[in-house]
Amino acid sequence: MDNLSAHEITDLFTSNKVSAEEITKSTLERIHKLNPTLNAFLHVFDQRALKQAKRLDEKRAKNEPLGKLAGVPVALKDNMLVNGEIASCASKFLENYTAPYDATVVRLLEEEDAILIGRTNMDEFAMGASGTHSAFGPTKNPWNLDCSPGGSSSGSAAAVSARLCPLALGSDTGGSIRQPSAFTGITGFKPTYGRVSRSGLVAFASSFDQIGPFTRNVKDTALIMEAIGKRCDKDSTSIHSPPNSFDAEMGKSIAGTRFGVPWKFLEKLKGEPRDCFDKSVELIKSLGAEIVNVDLDILKYGIAVYYILTSAEASTNLARFDGIRYGLRSKDAKTLEDIYDYSREEGFGFEVKRRIMLGTFVLSGGFKDAYYEKAAKVRTLIIKNLRLAFEACDLIAMPTSPGSCFPLNGINDPLEEYLQDLYTVAAPIAGLPAISIPNGVSSDKKPFGLQLIGPQMHDAKVLGAAHAIEGALDFPKDPPEGFGGVR
Amino acid sequence: MTPEDGSDVNRLCALCRIQLSSEEKKVIGEHLHKILKYMTFLNEVDTEGVPPCTHLLETMVNVMGKDEEEVSYDREKFLASAPDHVGGMVKVPPVIHFEE
Amino acid sequence: MSDILYDQWEPVIGLEIHVQLNTKTKLFSRSLNQFGAEPNTNIDPINTAQPGVLPVLNEEAVKKAIQFGLAIGAQINRFSTFDRKSYFYPDCPRNFQITQFFHPIIQGGTITCDVEGKTKHFKVDRAHLEDDAGMLKHFSSFAGVDYNRAGVPLIEVVSEPMMHSPKDASAYATALKAIMQYLGVADCNMEEGGLRFDVNISVRPKNDKTLRPKVEIKNMNSFHNMELAIESEIRRQIQAYSLNPNEEFAKAIEPGTYRFDLAQRKTVMMRRKEEAHDYRYFHEPDLVPLMIEEKTIELLKNSLPELPHERYLRYTTELKLAPDAAAILINDKYTSDFFEEALSLVKKPSGLCNWLIVEFYGRLKEMGKTLEQSGIKAVHVGHLVQMIEDQVITGKIGKLVADDMLKTPGKDSKDIVKENPSYQPLDDSSIIEPIVDAVLEQNKQSIIDYKAGRNKALAYLVGQVMKETKGKASPAIVNQLILKKIEES
Repeated sequence: MDNLSAHEITDLFTSNKVSAEEITKSTLERIHKLNPTLNAFLHVFDQRALKQAKRLDEKRAKNEPLGKLAGVPVALKDNMLVNGEIASCASKFLENYTAPYDATVVRLLEEEDAILIGRTNMDEFAMGASGTHSAFGPTKNPWNLDCSPGGSSSGSAAAVSARLCPLALGSDTGGSIRQPSAFTGITGFKPTYGRVSRSGLVAFASSFDQIGPFTRNVKDTALIMEAIGKRCDKDSTSIHSPPNSFDAEMGKSIAGTRFGVPWKFLEKLKGEPRDCFDKSVELIKSLGAEIVNVDLDILKYGIAVYYILTSAEASTNLARFDGIRYGLRSKDAKTLEDIYDYSREEGFGFEVKRRIMLGTFVLSGGFKDAYYEKAAKVRTLIIKNLRLAFEACDLIAMPTSPGSCFPLNGINDPLEEYLQDLYTVAAPIAGLPAISIPNGVSSDKKPFGLQLIGPQMHDAKVLGAAHAIEGALDFPKDPPEGFGGVR
Repeated sequence: MTPEDGSDVNRLCALCRIQLSSEEKKVIGEHLHKILKYMTFLNEVDTEGVPPCTHLLETMVNVMGKDEEEVSYDREKFLASAPDHVGGMVKVPPVIHFEE
Repeated sequence: MSDILYDQWEPVIGLEIHVQLNTKTKLFSRSLNQFGAEPNTNIDPINTAQPGVLPVLNEEAVKKAIQFGLAIGAQINRFSTFDRKSYFYPDCPRNFQITQFFHPIIQGGTITCDVEGKTKHFKVDRAHLEDDAGMLKHFSSFAGVDYNRAGVPLIEVVSEPMMHSPKDASAYATALKAIMQYLGVADCNMEEGGLRFDVNISVRPKNDKTLRPKVEIKNMNSFHNMELAIESEIRRQIQAYSLNPNEEFAKAIEPGTYRFDLAQRKTVMMRRKEEAHDYRYFHEPDLVPLMIEEKTIELLKNSLPELPHERYLRYTTELKLAPDAAAILINDKYTSDFFEEALSLVKKPSGLCNWLIVEFYGRLKEMGKTLEQSGIKAVHVGHLVQMIEDQVITGKIGKLVADDMLKTPGKDSKDIVKENPSYQPLDDSSIIEPIVDAVLEQNKQSIIDYKAGRNKALAYLVGQVMKETKGKASPAIVNQLILKKIEES
């Protein structure tokens, strides 16, 4: 059961070979056994999931039409609201906050008969790339328990990687789906900005955030994207889908497709990560595709642009966490000012506080032009450069990350952690669809990821190419050591 | 912004309403100094005549909703999350100064 | 006001007026926009800033804003956007307001009004949409927050600083209120917070073109209080500059935000300019821009109703009403509509106007009610004036009828007269004739004067008869009899 993909599970369910209850029970058993090692899940929806499973079995028995994800257990990052369940964003601030409504993606998943299995650990308020900035302990990488699974969607990545469930949703603002996917040897996809509703996703950086899936194969990615990639009335930045489906280009050959590689931008990458990427480039060529050099030198400014703009947006998005209407209110607070000052001091972790202060600074009087406005202008240039690059190629190929997973607490310098996002920030800066597929393993058994980026709205093209390359790659199909079948 | 210049960190704390400990202020001050110094490398980029990016999806304009009531939030549910409430209102300490 | 040295000093006043639009739901979410409900019963996850919520703009609010812009002849910006304005306060759920700082929907425009007989055209700088805050209710040991109002659509109208007296300011604000009401985009009920103003004010020596530091005054809850506040502030500033002629301006008059203390009748500082908020305005990433189409503007332009100033011109040029009377009429839409309804029944509009704004208004003021609250009907007032015009009753009796109408609102004046014998005009010639004879006997000079062509003499004679009959004689009959007798004599 554990090594089955989502589409395999739903096929088994719809063809009456297994019941939703069996699937769910098996999943829950495995989660409870292995989660203590990983700390991937913050909370498991035992009762809710079993209830959903029972209802689904009854539906099937009555021959009622079943959704695209019927019977498939899906985990949700803890920053997505499920009505009646806690949504803590891995923060002390919201440790006891019960969501009063469903995120749109939650509603869409349930409409397709998915079984919501639990909420996963993350870097607090999605700020981080290590999984160590959670108020509830770090998540461990199933490939190496001393290592970080990446972040901020650390729990979702670890859960899928360790085969605790076949699908999980995360959110990607600067790489928070793709980088942990690369670190944990799975597939992670960030759609074009606006293709998945952000209603019910606790906002980090509004013009960067996108919800996306973690899977173990691209076919599953397309499956879940069909369910969640829809226009939503509650999100003004939600776009109408193009007429083609997410799997429209799957199964096609990539012969003739032009892959742009920003060689100059990547020149500092050396050693095993570089070798792994070069090998993938050769593989792509061997499939008949063309490799084209593209100039994306401007991406070296990506980190500065990203951190200035996202911190600015975040500083205002997190202002609502003030101890007044919900969340933590400091017991030491006597005046109104105390409520703000102490609650936010106690409720937020260090990384979050640092980003809020950075964001406040870059927007404050006297500094806004030099920082925020400047970054916004460079963002325009980055978008322009990427658009130019796509005139010479169909897709851009890059490594997902400058390295493989690092030891937990191995990075203590904030800038060093920020630079982890060097290759992943480009796509959210420009709102482009991007995927990471596992393309190799280091000599010390740590996975690497290959990243493909497409033009805005060309999600199907990205998935199609990823599917073709995935099929030709030789990435291990077994779960990481220690996470083999437990039944 | 410099690590020695504590006033900047204090000003930021006041603006974003977080009461850091003096130790935290020192560390964050140093970090911010380092990070902001890194950010100045954006000055290498010539942005003369370049408009700041304000929206990503150029085709998205005029997104509006109809002026019709939708199911609202039950007061009980809302107050259940409130740290303190009285008489149907969220309760806070007395507020001294006047605001907009 | 006589002690203000207007010949030596010129006040420079600008107004920022916030008006609540009367949409059904809020600006960025769909819970009700309704005053007076129990606390926190018109709320939703968006207007209480729960995690994960997103704003969705109300199309009706945009439409109303455009209508207002068109009504004042402003430019409707084809491209406009929204921005975040950050500040922490319990009534501000997100701790940022969504407003339009960089690209407002409306630019320019003029508000025309009558100030003590003179027509003035005050320029508007800009107007934009933004969401209202919730309400903070203060108690002795705590404060309570009610979010019903959070998110209600506001249109903020910023004038150019070109008003020069309390009367200018109050006329401008009154005209703005009337425009909003005539358009049907806002109720402007001040008791319900539907219209609020902030005043920016400085003074300078007359003929000086430079602007001195200005002071912002907030929290005036009536037009009258606004005038008082402005007046007291003008006085304060003139005094400060006069007493400290060599002082730096910003030291003599400390720029900042003040509130008007009604009890003390003076402005009290709330916040210095340096302590002013750093609002850190930046583009709202959760909303997309507005691109207003030509056809939308055309459609709304062609469906604008008659506006207050247009009505004012019609009243003064076509109906020949006196300017100040017309001004009073048009400034309250209800009264003006009331007047319009009764107009078809009367011959002389000025008579009807007088009855409304002098007789009825006077009585209503004593009762502490508005015309709308009184419950009396336009048609019935029309009938009253009609009866006087037709000389069925005298003006004096008319006043008594007016009193009765207010006591029994909804009752037709015609019925009131019918039912009350003492209102019935005395139309028995046999009773009137001897009185006429007696008056003519005592006023032979008047007969001569009338015959010589002085019509006033007739009026005098009629008046004398009316006096004798205590106003009850039918004026028509009295007139008739007097003329007959004069002819015969």
